[in-house]
Amino acid sequence: MTWIVWRQQRPVFITLVAGLVVSVAAVLLLRAGMVADLQAGDLAGCLPFGSECGIRAADGFQDTWFDRLRLAQGTVLAAPVLIGVFIGAPLFAREFEQGTHALAFTQSVGRTRWTVTKFLVAGLPALVVVGVYQLVVHSWLEAAGELGPLSASTFYFTSFDAQGVSPLAYTLFAYTLGMAAGALFKRTLVAMTVTLGLFIAARVLIGDVRESLVTPTRLITNDLDVNAVVPGRPLVVDAGFLDSGGAVVADPTPMMNCTDRADAQGGVDWSACFRENGLAQRYADIVPAGQATTLHLLEGSIFAGLAVLFVLGSTWAVRRQV
Amino acid sequence: MSQREQPVLAERLGKKYSRGWALRDCTLEIPAGRIVALVGPNGAGKSTLMGMTTGLLRPTEGRISVFGDAPTGRGMHPAVAFLTQAKPLYPQFTVTETLRYGRNANPGWDQAYAEELVEKARVPFAAKVGTLSGGQRTRVALALALGKRPRLLVLDEPLADLDPLARETVLTTLVRECRAQGITVLLSSHVLAELEDVCDHLVLLAGGRVRLAGDVSDLLRAHADHRTLSGLALAHMRVEVAA
Repeated sequence: MTWIVWRQQRPVFITLVAGLVVSVAAVLLLRAGMVADLQAGDLAGCLPFGSECGIRAADGFQDTWFDRLRLAQGTVLAAPVLIGVFIGAPLFAREFEQGTHALAFTQSVGRTRWTVTKFLVAGLPALVVVGVYQLVVHSWLEAAGELGPLSASTFYFTSFDAQGVSPLAYTLFAYTLGMAAGALFKRTLVAMTVTLGLFIAARVLIGDVRESLVTPTRLITNDLDVNAVVPGRPLVVDAGFLDSGGAVVADPTPMMNCTDRADAQGGVDWSACFRENGLAQRYADIVPAGQATTLHLLEGSIFAGLAVLFVLGSTWAVRRQV
Repeated sequence: MSQREQPVLAERLGKKYSRGWALRDCTLEIPAGRIVALVGPNGAGKSTLMGMTTGLLRPTEGRISVFGDAPTGRGMHPAVAFLTQAKPLYPQFTVTETLRYGRNANPGWDQAYAEELVEKARVPFAAKVGTLSGGQRTRVALALALGKRPRLLVLDEPLADLDPLARETVLTTLVRECRAQGITVLLSSHVLAELEDVCDHLVLLAGGRVRLAGDVSDLLRAHADHRTLSGLALAHMRVEVAA
């Protein structure tokens, strides 16, 4: 059975591998060029970013490379949906469209085994390809260090979504979604469209709520002038003021009072004004950068759970007699 | 005859599509070792009956058993081979790869026999299936169906897209192989004349119902005004269509 599916998917494998080889070569060449630029501008010593040496040189470097690095992250974000649309969706839909499902259904191999074999043999190489590409792109980003997109929070969506288990989880989700849509609708074009639409919708929706998967840590400071200094670059979920009892002040009146006073007097001691208005402390609810892995795993498990449902759904749809 | 040896047994079998009943109240017995002609006008329910025999379709009502088992969506009975009108094969596979497909997907596969059938048909092994002529494709599909060494071979209009010469060759091969191995054949065709000397059992469907079923010589004896299978079948179809 493995041979059968391998033989059927051979053109897809060749395309995948060729695509990977070309992309990896391109990324490695770009990385080499960028590293040469880093050395030429003697920028390695300027890390971490913000140190005084050669700010201008760093600007020039970023003008050239920052967008390219972001673009590379973008390709890692795009890879899963491409796998879903071009490998997942046609997997069963094409068989139904060409009538070759009747050939498969009339051999002695059961439909469940056929479905599972197709799922594994077509899917595993795609996952490996995405994983390898993700690592290669990440090594390029790491070479740019603080001068590249990684200087932003690890929770910034292009960085977060292109790191950890996320790309693989998205790929598994997109691929199984395409497979299930194909098995259900039996039309390649319909399956591709459904996969594209649902994938984007699911990513946006889950991307919006994923912060709530971890309980944030509350940092409190008595200094009312500035927010609590947070180590690393965490995800700030919420920030504001606490009253003397430690409760969150949701009422904007104190803030407005002080702003009015500042306008009237042309300047104000903010800290004192806040205290007069009953604000005692500043707080920030954060997810520390160290918890990014946990968030990756939690979000990944949602997508993996959906993928399991799609695999079961595909098996059901293929086994269903009309 | 025990249930296990009975190729097909249908009881009040019916299938309803969204457009209406395609087959209804079909009670039928296909005896072992016979070559059965399944005839009827377009839309009579021939393909529907074959679909339910092979498990591709689910009966709406009634029961069907194939060698004692009810066909399900889990997979086809290992003793049944099915060849449809479209003869689906993977066009990008070569003939050798198509036979390898058969070997991989069927435990009882007889590679030597399948290769022999392809050789007899003079189909080049290295050719891609997509480049073959209709006749050659049919021969490859037939080799794939017979290579699994079935006890029941279901053929839905297998000759439909072939020229007269190819029809004759394919039919001769088919009958020779099936007779030699005692394979029960359920064969549907529009061309009644060519079933004449081939089939020894007739099932006539019209309007989704079984109109005539039985041993050909018995039927001809019972309907003495018809001397040939095709004459008998045609007369019944005319009556049905007129009604």
